[in-house]
Amino acid sequence: MTASATHAALPEAPKLDGRALIVMLLLPITAVNLIGFILPVVNLAMISFMEVRSTGAMTGNWSFAKWQLVVTDPFYWELLWNSVRTSLTITLLTLLVSYPVALYLHRSSGMWRSILLVMVISPLLLSAVVRTYGWIAILSDRGLINNGLMALGFDGPLRLMFNLTGVVIGLTEILMPYMILALLAGFGKLDSRVEEAAATLGASPFRVFWRVVLPLSLPGIALGSLLTFVLAVSSFITPKLLGGGRVFLLATEVYDQAIVTLDWPLAATLSIIVLVVFGVALTIYSRVLKSLG
Amino acid sequence: MQNRSLALAATALAIGLSSGMARAQEINVMAYTGLFQDRYIKAVIEPFQKANPGIKVNYVPQPSSAAMIGQLRAQKAAPQTDVVIMDVSVAKAGTDEGLFKALDENSMPVLKDLYPNARFPGVAGVAVTFDNLVLIYNSDAYPTPPTSLLAMAEPAARGKVVIPGVPDIQGLSLLMILDKKNGGPGVEGRFEKGIEAMAPIAPNVQTWEPKPEVYAPIIAGQATIGVGWNARAQVNSETSGGKLRAVIPSEGTAFQVNVISLVEGSKQAEAARKFVAYALSPEAQKSFTESMFYAPTNSKAQIDPKAINRTAVNFLDRVVPVDWIAVARVRDQLSDQWRRRVLPLSR
Repeated sequence: MTASATHAALPEAPKLDGRALIVMLLLPITAVNLIGFILPVVNLAMISFMEVRSTGAMTGNWSFAKWQLVVTDPFYWELLWNSVRTSLTITLLTLLVSYPVALYLHRSSGMWRSILLVMVISPLLLSAVVRTYGWIAILSDRGLINNGLMALGFDGPLRLMFNLTGVVIGLTEILMPYMILALLAGFGKLDSRVEEAAATLGASPFRVFWRVVLPLSLPGIALGSLLTFVLAVSSFITPKLLGGGRVFLLATEVYDQAIVTLDWPLAATLSIIVLVVFGVALTIYSRVLKSLG
Repeated sequence: MQNRSLALAATALAIGLSSGMARAQEINVMAYTGLFQDRYIKAVIEPFQKANPGIKVNYVPQPSSAAMIGQLRAQKAAPQTDVVIMDVSVAKAGTDEGLFKALDENSMPVLKDLYPNARFPGVAGVAVTFDNLVLIYNSDAYPTPPTSLLAMAEPAARGKVVIPGVPDIQGLSLLMILDKKNGGPGVEGRFEKGIEAMAPIAPNVQTWEPKPEVYAPIIAGQATIGVGWNARAQVNSETSGGKLRAVIPSEGTAFQVNVISLVEGSKQAEAARKFVAYALSPEAQKSFTESMFYAPTNSKAQIDPKAINRTAVNFLDRVVPVDWIAVARVRDQLSDQWRRRVLPLSR
């Protein structure tokens, strides 16, 4: 479509020139991608095949040891499964709490909409570290929730953080703005007149939602879920701070191996696995989009 | 006359230029960020610059030794760092990779004055500070100070214990001390008795990842007891008005060693050498110990008794000997045991 439109607009331009122009136009972004993405990933892949001594010193020789370890040690399979399962849980929870907010935002208008949008986006102005510390203040044994519960007569504090619960709560809130914005972007097809039409034809509000609103918002749901999943799999600060050293995820293990144990090849191997997980998520996303037409 | 004044002016200009050039000598010293940075600049770097007006020292802060070695690896072709202060096991890895230049007594006589345990075979640098593991506690929660690591196993400490877990070297030190106390097999036996001795402590642990450090939750009362490094504990004890207190446990303590190294290929090698010699001198060692309570590595340093009593120097009989380089070799196996046998007890 676009190519033929270009040809129509430039009928006399020689073909070669057009090609040269396209190459010229693509050159900057290719260079940026090459330097900013391809080279670091290639470097990472190379580090994963380097030999390292147990003290952390790299010998400069090549070795498959880390890949062999990761494939044969059940701990790393468990790590992979843990990461995927935890990230899927977080994605689902984020979707459930964000969807109504996004739908309401989509339907609101004027000043109110602007105020709500600012409220949704404003958490992004704070770093995840600060927000995680905020959650520590809320979830700790003497935090807001436990103090409230104990005032109501519960005995003993509930263990809300330094475990998987804390990580899921913290990450769900931290990733909500991304999900809401992605949902809003995907709500483009959602037209209030379609809903009105369904209602006029006698559909109950639930039926309107189930048969009209939800199917039309599926592209937004797919986009938001992809974004949230990818961010959840790669986040390590919040799991580190709220996990209490009990929650093992791919990203926290990459951090530990690179920064604490000084095993760069193992950290690089696990990073490549994270990239593969991203690749699978992207493939599933594009399949879902295709099936939605 | 005119010629003479011209000559004078030229000479003055030349002197000015040369002194300007001398002042332009700059070295970059890489070490820890935070408390260490503040205190080290005041206690060592500023006096050094006063004594050597020709040398400007830039402090390059890094969050950890591993982050430092990352920088050095990236700069290997053209080093921008001249001197590094980092943990001994990481310094060993750096030496093996040829990142550091060996120090020798002929060009640096001050090395002769260092304690024998300040030098390590196969490590290019030498020890510049000794720290040690301490039991730290909230003084409101413990009106009677705890003396033993087993205080962390008592019912009163349920959910109130903070320990930076293995592979952090604070967790590793704890493991070694408990192993030694229980007649364990040491590094060859992967500290088996230490792992066993963690069993009654682990269920009480609130977090194995106190961030950014172990001291803040104890000061805040979110936790009441744990283990940490002496130097930082002493400073935090001061700044918290005694809320946090530290004690060498009856089971013993273990040294953590920071090594100072010259970077191979440094463009200001002479100035860097001068700085390393100063950092190891009795004067600088005294000043930093009195400022941050790291034990000195120079035997000639005359330290204020008030400060030295807050280090492990007078408790050497309680220090469990640790071969950090041997420990580094089995660290992944220790992490594995820790994950399988200690962490599950604390869920």
